[in-house]
Amino acid sequence: MDKRKLFISPVTRIEGHANITIELDDNGNVSDALFHVNEFRGFEKFCEGRMYTEMPTITPRICGICPTSHTLASVKACEMIQGIQPTYTANLLRRLMHIGQNLSSHALSFFHLSSPDFLLGYDSDPAKRNILGIAEKFPDIALRGIRLRKFGQELSERITGKKIHIMGIAPGGMAYPLTEENRKALLNWIPEALQTVQLGINIIRKFHEENTAMVQSFANSPTLYLGTVGSGGEHELYDGKLRFIDADGIILQDQVSPQQYLDFIAERSVNWSYLKYPYYKPLGFDKGFYRVGPLARLNVATRMKTPLAQKEFEHFKSIGSGKPVHGAFYYHYTRLIEALSDVEDAERILNDPDVTSLHIQHHGRWNYDEGIGSTEAPRGTLFHHYKTDETGKLVKVNLLIATGQNNPSMNRSVLEVARQYVKGDDIKEGMLNRVESAIRCYDPCLSCSTHAMGSMPMVIEVKDKKGELIKRLERF
Amino acid sequence: MNTIPITINDKKLDVDPAKTILEVCRENDIEILTMCHLKGIIDIGACRLCLVEIEGINKLLSACTTKVAANMVVKTSTERIKKYQRITAELFFAERNHVCSVCVANGKCELQQLGYKVEMDHIRYPHLFPHCEVDTSHPWYVMDHNRCIMCTRCVRVCNEVEGAHNWDVMNRGHQVRIISDFNTPWGESITCTSCGKCLHACPTGAIWPKAIVQGQLEKKPEIISELMEKRKMKL
Repeated sequence: MDKRKLFISPVTRIEGHANITIELDDNGNVSDALFHVNEFRGFEKFCEGRMYTEMPTITPRICGICPTSHTLASVKACEMIQGIQPTYTANLLRRLMHIGQNLSSHALSFFHLSSPDFLLGYDSDPAKRNILGIAEKFPDIALRGIRLRKFGQELSERITGKKIHIMGIAPGGMAYPLTEENRKALLNWIPEALQTVQLGINIIRKFHEENTAMVQSFANSPTLYLGTVGSGGEHELYDGKLRFIDADGIILQDQVSPQQYLDFIAERSVNWSYLKYPYYKPLGFDKGFYRVGPLARLNVATRMKTPLAQKEFEHFKSIGSGKPVHGAFYYHYTRLIEALSDVEDAERILNDPDVTSLHIQHHGRWNYDEGIGSTEAPRGTLFHHYKTDETGKLVKVNLLIATGQNNPSMNRSVLEVARQYVKGDDIKEGMLNRVESAIRCYDPCLSCSTHAMGSMPMVIEVKDKKGELIKRLERF
Repeated sequence: MNTIPITINDKKLDVDPAKTILEVCRENDIEILTMCHLKGIIDIGACRLCLVEIEGINKLLSACTTKVAANMVVKTSTERIKKYQRITAELFFAERNHVCSVCVANGKCELQQLGYKVEMDHIRYPHLFPHCEVDTSHPWYVMDHNRCIMCTRCVRVCNEVEGAHNWDVMNRGHQVRIISDFNTPWGESITCTSCGKCLHACPTGAIWPKAIVQGQLEKKPEIISELMEKRKMKL
């Protein structure tokens, strides 16, 4: 059968570089869709030969959005190598910084990258379908979104002196304490941050109400889910155990130590993308696709830890009548419920009398030749796995990144949305924006940079099997 | 004390004839960039950052190894000197693998400060990207040859101050390397006393303690200088 292909290159308003290929049959119907991640980073290879204690400094450079998660997963792996635990205060400070990063990332995803679709419309002028367009039409929302991100970054800055690629998270604890002055300054942000997150929740809930059919049917294929939970099954971002559930919400594995991740997760390479395909090992490659991230975390969690977030969580659970919610669109909503929990939790930590203690680091040295660390990055469960020689030099590095784990599902979502919205005979820009937005739901972080503007060039070409151009659509 | 008259940057000074141009400049708050110099150990004029112009001599001479002479007229900050300082700094960065963002010495590195000082906004020379070993064999310290600029402060401190002579230099040109004993892993050295003086003498992140992360490095080269002063005074 003669095949025609649509190329979306690059995919815009995501973090990183990717393309989409949509294959059409003779009738112009979508027959297949592929999500290509066309950048290669090589961290696992070039970190070999370095000292393991350098990893909390090197690995945050993987990403400018979630560097704290990388540092924390890395430092936990280092602590396993040393056989030590951080101090109580260090854990509080790490949680604060992790909350800050999660808030900052979720604010970026919702207000900067995704809200233009909700507030301006999928078919609005692409030149204005970005944060600048929001700033023009809804200046208060744009400013609040930017300030929420600022608060998130300030949580790191006021502890370590740096907003993004933080320094000073060391095996055994922290290099810097939190001063009383900084503690008070951070507490002052809480009321405004709460208001902004609740504003975001109102926006997304209103959009859900007005577009119920679309939200419920948008990329909603059932998958398994993986997330970190506390000992009582509560939502957890920094430190906990793994829980896998199936598409009906049945718990497949619970309270699994992150150190056992290889018993349950395997990876496979594909020839069209640099991003590997991880899957839940017991069910195999074909049936073992799982998702991570805010939607997965709330699907696996039994409850939230804070009261306002718990109330919103109960509403979320009611959508699926207690069962997992599969629609990729709900990533946006769950992201905001997490942001609400983040702000509440930040307030709790900042009011802990031990948060300004100077007992911030335990000291250790190399004791074991293997370390595994895990944390919940904004986009999902993150694993760092190191093996060293007897001097501490790294001989093997394995990094299992959240976006990678969503890769099979992102690919499937692209196919579903393409089938729903793309018809090869008459391609409109708004159709392709919907395909892109399926990817945007997952807020993938494909590299360390943000290419946030809708003004990025996008070229879609329809070619026949011989590669001859049938139609070309450009967006500059 | 006998003194001699000299002129540095149009400033007339009467100075001790036993001193170098660098010593005189430092005593008189005249800035001269250095990298291989460390007060208290023998100067070797290796880094070529302290080059100065001397009236009547076509060549630029290193201030750290050139003694003052009567009626000498010295310039320390001409356009020619600045041009060579910038070239020297760029060559330091091009020769090995310096990545400040992930270096343990980030923010506390003399090479990084030099880059800022000479306003090095880019490097005009092709990077060599050599394959360099990271020696982690010592129980406490790491020697990362990627970050070494061959100032040999570690070599001289180990020899002159500690008296161990663990460190030395092998090969020539861009293949030159600091070695421990007769090119054995540092952890297997029979001469190293693990005193840590090389760590404090090292101006970059080439020698650093294993147990720390970026932001925790504290190098105190001044303790070497103070130690030598005390020895001179027989304290």
